[in-house]
Amino acid sequence: MNNMEINNKEIKNVKEAFISIVLGTASGLLTYYLFLYFNIAIFGWNLGLFFAPLIAGYVETIIAQHLTGESIGGISAFILFLVTVVYGFIIDNNTLGYNIITFGSIIIIIQAAVPTFANYFGIVVIISMLSYFTGFFKKLTDNIDNTIRKHFGKEEKEIEIVLPYDDKGSNEKLNSLDFIFMTSNNPEHLEYDNLGYFYTTAVFERNTHIFHLSPENVEKKHLNELKKGKDECLIKLSEKIKKAGGNGVIDLEISYILNGLGGSYFQVISRGMGIKIKEEYPTS
Amino acid sequence: MILTSANTLEDKTIISYKGIVTGESLIGANIYKDLFSGVRDVVGGRTSRYEEEIKKARDIAFKSMKEKAEQLNANAIIGLKISYDNLGGTMGNTILITAYGTAITYE
Repeated sequence: MNNMEINNKEIKNVKEAFISIVLGTASGLLTYYLFLYFNIAIFGWNLGLFFAPLIAGYVETIIAQHLTGESIGGISAFILFLVTVVYGFIIDNNTLGYNIITFGSIIIIIQAAVPTFANYFGIVVIISMLSYFTGFFKKLTDNIDNTIRKHFGKEEKEIEIVLPYDDKGSNEKLNSLDFIFMTSNNPEHLEYDNLGYFYTTAVFERNTHIFHLSPENVEKKHLNELKKGKDECLIKLSEKIKKAGGNGVIDLEISYILNGLGGSYFQVISRGMGIKIKEEYPTS
Repeated sequence: MILTSANTLEDKTIISYKGIVTGESLIGANIYKDLFSGVRDVVGGRTSRYEEEIKKARDIAFKSMKEKAEQLNANAIIGLKISYDNLGGTMGNTILITAYGTAITYE
C-alpha cells in the first residue's frame, strides 16, 4: 500500500468517525431536549442527565461499528456529558452566579470528567511552565542539595562551566594516529590479517548537580562530555589494537548507554575487528 | 558527498580510506517539546512535533559528519551507521543521535 492509499484510507476513517460522532451527539441532544420538554424527572432530578449521554454513546458506537467495523470510544457520550452538566448544573441553576464557587465547581467537574487530562494540565503544564520561566524549583532543589552537601558531604562547585569541544581538532587527532578506523566490514582493495575482536569502554559521571546552568547549557555540557568520552574510547581501542600488532579496525561500532543508579553514569563502548593491513593503506 | 551504508560504491573505485567521521546531536530539555509530545501521548496518535525535532537533530549530526569528511578531503562516506540512544532526562526523552562512517575518496 503506497502513501497515497494510506492517506486516502486515513481520510475516509476520519470522515466516518466524524459522521458517527455528529449523529451520536445529535441523537443525545434530541434525547436531552425530549426529557427536558416532558420534564421526565425523579425527585427533581432530570433523567436526561443519565439517558442523553447513554443514547449518544450507543448511537455513535452502532454507527461507527457499521461504518468502520470498530468502536471509536463514545466521544459523543463525553460531549453530551459536558452539555448536560454545563446546562443542568450551571446554566439552568438559579442559585449559581459568577463567583469563585462556580468556577471552583467547574474545575472540579472537569477534573472528575477527564482526570488524566486535568491532572496533566494542572500539575505538569502549569507548574512546569512556571518552573521553567522562573527557575524556582531548580533553584530550590539546588539550594537544598547544596546545603545538605555543605553539612554532610563534599561541597559542589558553585559554577559549572561548559568546556568547549573542538570537533575539527578531534577529527584530525583521531585520524592521525597511524591507525585507521573503519566502519566497513570488508574494505575493498585492502589486504589484512584479522587480529580478533576488540572493545573498549569509557565511563564517566553524568553530572546532575549542575548549578547556574540553563537546560540548553546542561545539554551542551552533556553532549561535549559524550563526544570526549567517544574520543577517549576510540583512542583506547587504537592503543589496544596497536599493542596486539595491528594498525586498524574494521566493522567499528560505537554505542552510548546511560548506566548506574538513576542513570548517574554515561558509558561509551567502541568495538570492532582489529586488523593488520599488509601493505600501507592509501590515505591521500 | 555520497553517503552509503554499503561497503562499496557501485561503478566507482575507492582510491583511499581517510578514517572515521562522526556527527552527534542531543535533543531534550525543551519544555515545549516535552509538553506537546506529552499532550499528543494523552490524546493518542503520532507525535509529529517530536518527529520533526528528531529529524532536525539528525540533520545536525549529518552536517557535522559531512563537514569532518570534507576536512579530510573525502568525497564519500561508506559504512554509514546511525543510532538513537535514550539518555534519560525529563520524561525520558533526552535522545542522542549519532551518525558515523568511513570517509573515503573515490574516482
